[in-house]
Parts: sequence; structure tokens; C-alpha cells
Amino acid sequence: MKIRLFFIWMVVSVLMMGATVQAQDTASAPSASAGTAAGAPGVIPVTTSSIAAQRAYELGMVEREDRLFVDEGLEFFRQAVKEDPQFALGHATLGYFTADPREAKEESALAEKFVDKASPDEQLLVRWMNGTKDGDLVPAISAMNDLLAKYPNDKRLLNMTAEWLCSNQGASEHGEAILVRLLKSDPGYYPALNNLAYCYALSGEARLSPPLMDRYVAAIPNEPNPQDSYGEIMRILGDYPAALEHYQKALEINPNFNASQVGVASTYALMGDEKRARAQYLVAIKGTRERWTQVNYRILWALTYYRENKPQLAREEFRKVDAEAHLASLPVQEAEIHRTMALFDPDPASALKQLDDSRSDLSATQKVQLLPGDRDNELASILQTRAFIAASAGKLEVAEEALKLLSDMAENSRSIPVQKSYHSANGAVLFARGDYAGAIAELQEDAQNPLSLRLLAEAQAKAGKPADAQATLTTLAAISDERVETAFAVPQARAALKSDNPQTAQGEAH
Amino acid sequence: MRNRVFIFCLLLAGAASIAFATDFAVVVNPANPVRELSLVELAKIFRAKTNTWSTGKSITIILRDPSSPEAKFVIEKVLGGTVDEGKVVLNDPSRKSTVPVVFAASDEDILKIVEGNAGAIGVIDVYNITGGVKVVKIDDKQPFDPGYTLKGH
Repeated sequence: MKIRLFFIWMVVSVLMMGATVQAQDTASAPSASAGTAAGAPGVIPVTTSSIAAQRAYELGMVEREDRLFVDEGLEFFRQAVKEDPQFALGHATLGYFTADPREAKEESALAEKFVDKASPDEQLLVRWMNGTKDGDLVPAISAMNDLLAKYPNDKRLLNMTAEWLCSNQGASEHGEAILVRLLKSDPGYYPALNNLAYCYALSGEARLSPPLMDRYVAAIPNEPNPQDSYGEIMRILGDYPAALEHYQKALEINPNFNASQVGVASTYALMGDEKRARAQYLVAIKGTRERWTQVNYRILWALTYYRENKPQLAREEFRKVDAEAHLASLPVQEAEIHRTMALFDPDPASALKQLDDSRSDLSATQKVQLLPGDRDNELASILQTRAFIAASAGKLEVAEEALKLLSDMAENSRSIPVQKSYHSANGAVLFARGDYAGAIAELQEDAQNPLSLRLLAEAQAKAGKPADAQATLTTLAAISDERVETAFAVPQARAALKSDNPQTAQGEAH
Repeated sequence: MRNRVFIFCLLLAGAASIAFATDFAVVVNPANPVRELSLVELAKIFRAKTNTWSTGKSITIILRDPSSPEAKFVIEKVLGGTVDEGKVVLNDPSRKSTVPVVFAASDEDILKIVEGNAGAIGVIDVYNITGGVKVVKIDDKQPFDPGYTLKGH
């Protein structure tokens, strides 16, 4: 798998940061929260000895859950635990929402330390939040369901758990059921409108999303995020003109809403207008202050050269971004840069060398206190790419070596990205061995990854299943996102569909 | 904003997959001291070859309707063979006096029965578990563990 969760998480988290910090400047915030404040009947109580902490916690929930202003929400949660350092739920909530792995670890531990001071129901909420972070999911789900049964009208609880089910667990059926029930009781609860639209869009029911987006926009017309979300949904649906229109509307509401600025740039990139995409990415780069955000945008910017089939220029630009990432001590970005260059390198030996560099970059992460789980996800991604490139080039031994390392990781990890990388790499090795049935079964385990889908289509074609291969290619061709894998594999799939030959999906590189 | 985090998480976690995929949890009443079973032991219970717990309580199996995809997966995985062969085993009239099988319409119904019956054992979608039941490890693994045997597709 290629642009991995961690990298994308970082990219998008930064997108959010840039956007939300700027958004604070606007005076268009809703005057009231969408959810029901803690302490109201039917809502989980919040236990703290400090009124200031309770107020900060509530404001944090308004910003994070209702308005989707992530940074502002986090700041309020930080303030809450500063006011009451023994505020278990405050620590757990901060640990749950923060994108900083170190902060997440520390806050989860503090929540655990002070959990006995919280009410029994808060203890359940802490167990759920902490469990989602440390992978202890069985008690976490049990606690979540007990809370949902006891507080069926706590809108924030319902929305938050549904979002987790949809986004983190891929349990969209469960998440959708909660959101539908919530919207039935309060059709105007706009955070749920947003979440449900995304849940539908990515569970094969995208046609159900636009009406929800219309309601979301109507509920808070002066906020940029509904328009930004609408743009995102339309881009998923492949309607690029509509996506651009909504992103532009978001920028009209708040010209500094960088999420939409990047949305515009990436939409142009997907449309094939790379020159305009680059110009828009530059605006986004200028609009952010964070160094690591700028590097992430620079990566997307440089990717446009690969998109327009200018590999030499792309390599030159990626080398420059690599130097910037190195200077800024961003080893994961460095690793991703090398992995991207490997993916687009038509020479397998050179590509494998790039992946060696990628792994070296990652080993430097020990110096910057990256949590082992995050490093494992990125390493799994690199190894999966290695197996894919090696298998595609007929270098079975190299692919098997990568698979062996991934297998060892998968044996001891509950991480979804690690597990999926293992299955995909195993599929690549089986494909190289000519075991197409085995390859198909394994590659289907990673069916959201464009590279796995590409290999799956080839395996299906070779296994004498042309209809399946055609269906897989159609699925692949419909993917419309910013991932490196998408930039690499989707144009080939679209070309193959035009030529009506699934086996031509294998392009010049690999 | 959150939308993008959301979207990429979905893409990467595989939520967009329309195919059915979840882990199934084997659940018992919290009063039951059993903490883990091997798949072979579970199959013996399904085949009515084991009919009591260590406490002496009689075992009752609670499953979803065997025509549901969830039950089909569980039956095939535990008993081996086809679901039709499994149905024959589970519907055998002679087992009513040993290890009866109750087919429930939903996971909620299974939970209610297991919560109220100290000898009951059920299998449900892990996302439906509650504090009213205890999840039993199978072959020393619980849902979400790498290599967990009742991982459905």
C-alpha cells in the first residue's frame, strides 16, 4: 500500500490545522453549539472539581465536535486539564482527539491514572477512548455499547462513536445506523449530517451524500466547512466542476480556509490541469505557517510532475523537497518522498534502491520520538511497495524477503495498515509465483489500495476471470483522491478500460 | 477539515469495501468461568459432544438464523463443511435434550438470551458486544487479534 495512513493522516491533519487556525479569524461562528451540553439530562455527566475546567471542556466539545474546529477544540481540552490536572475524562478526550502521538500517549496514561475519580459512566467513556488508542478494542466496544444503551439521546456521544466506527474501524454499517437514528431524532444536528454523508460516500452509497450536504450547508451557511465537505464529496463522485464550485464557495466564506485551497489544487491535479494545480498548491503553501505542513503540500505539488508524465522533472523536484524535509527533520516525509520516487521509477533496481533509502530515513525516526505503531505503519507501507515492485519485476526472492519482514510484523500487530500491507504483499508474491487464485484472495484483503487493485485485476485476468478483472478495473478507475498510489495506478486503469484490456493496466513503470 | 481525515481513514482502513467483513465474538454469561476455548472445543459444543460447562451447567447455543450470511460463516468455520451440513447437525432433534440450539433474529436477541442464561453461549458481531456478556478467546485469540479464526468476510 502506498500513501499510508500515517502520512495521509499527517497531511490531512495539517490541512485541518492550517484551515482551523485561520478560521478562528472569522466572525461567522454559530452562536450556539449543536450538541447538548454536558450536565444536561440524558447526557454523560462530566466530573471535575473545577468549574473552569468544566467550561473549557464544554467549549472544547463545541469547537471540536460541533464546529469541527480541531485546533481550537484541542486548546480548550488542554486548558481543561490544566485547570484540573486530575480530570480523567478531560485527559482521555484530549488523548483521543489529538493528532500528536506523544500527547495521545501521555494523556491516555493520565486518564487511566485518575479514572477512579470519575463517575462510573465517565469511566466507561475513558475506557472506550483509551481502548481505541491502545488497540484494546474488545472492552472498548463493550463500554461504547453500554454507554449508547444508557444515553441514547446524547448526540455528541452518538456522533463521536459513529465517526469512529466509520472512519477508524470500517464498520460503516454500524456507524450509519447510529447516525440515521440520531438524525431521525434531530434532523438539524449538522455534525451528524457531515459524518453520515462521508460514511455513505465511502461505503458504496455516494449517491445518498449530496442531499445530506445540502442540509449541512443550509444548517450553517456562513461556515466554510460544509462547502469544503461538499467539494470533497463531489470529488469522490468524480464531479470535478461541482467540487471546484463548492471549494470556491468555502473560500469565499473564508479566504484563508486552506483545506479548500488544497482541495482546489488537488481537484485540478485530478482533472489533469497540473499547471493550474501547482499554482493553487503554491497559494496553499504560502497560506500555512507550519514547516511540516509546507513540506506535505510541496510533496503534493511535486507529484503533479509525475501526473503529467514528466518523470525527470518530478525526480528533480522530489529531490529538492527531500532536502527540505531533511533540513526540517521530517524523516517520515523523507521516507514517503523516496517511496513515491520508487513507485514511479521504471527501473526496478533503482526503485528498490529508493526503498532502501526510504527505510533508512525511517530508522531516523527513533531520534524524533515517533511512536512504534506509527513507524510500523510506515515501514509496512515501504515493505509492501517493495514486494509490489519486486513481484512486478519478477524478482521473487526480493519480494519474498519483504514479505517475510511484513509477516513477522503482522504476527504481532493489530494495526489495520500493517495487516493489509501483509495481505497485499503476500498477494504480490503469490502472483509472481503464478498462484493467481491465492493472489486474488489475498489482494482482496486490501481492496481500497490502488496498487492492490491493479494487481488484483491482472491476477483475475490471468486466472481466466475477465468479467471480474473488468469490474476491478472499473472500481480502480473510479478512485479519485490525492494518494500517490492513485496518481500511479488510476490513469493506467482508465487507459486500460479504454483499450478494453485489463492486462494493459500494467504501465511503463513496473 | 475533519472530512479529509475521515475520508482517507476510510480509504485506508477499507471501510469503502461493500463486502461483509467483521470479527465474530463468542460470548457467554459473565457468571460462566470459562475464559477461552479452542476451535475444536467449540466444534464439540456445536456437535453436542460436549454438553455441560465445568460448573455443571447445561450448555445452550444461541445463533443467528442459519440463512443469514453471518451464521453461515460461523457454522462453516466452526463445523467445517457446508452450511447445509452444519444445519443438519444443529437441527438434529435428538440434541434438544443435550445441547439445544436457539436461532435468534438479531444479535440483540442473542445478547438478551446469553445475559439471562448462565449456560448459554452465543456468537455475535463483535461491534455489538456489551458489558452484559463475556467474550471468550478462541485458540488463545480474541477478536481483532492477528490470526483470529472467526474473522468474517
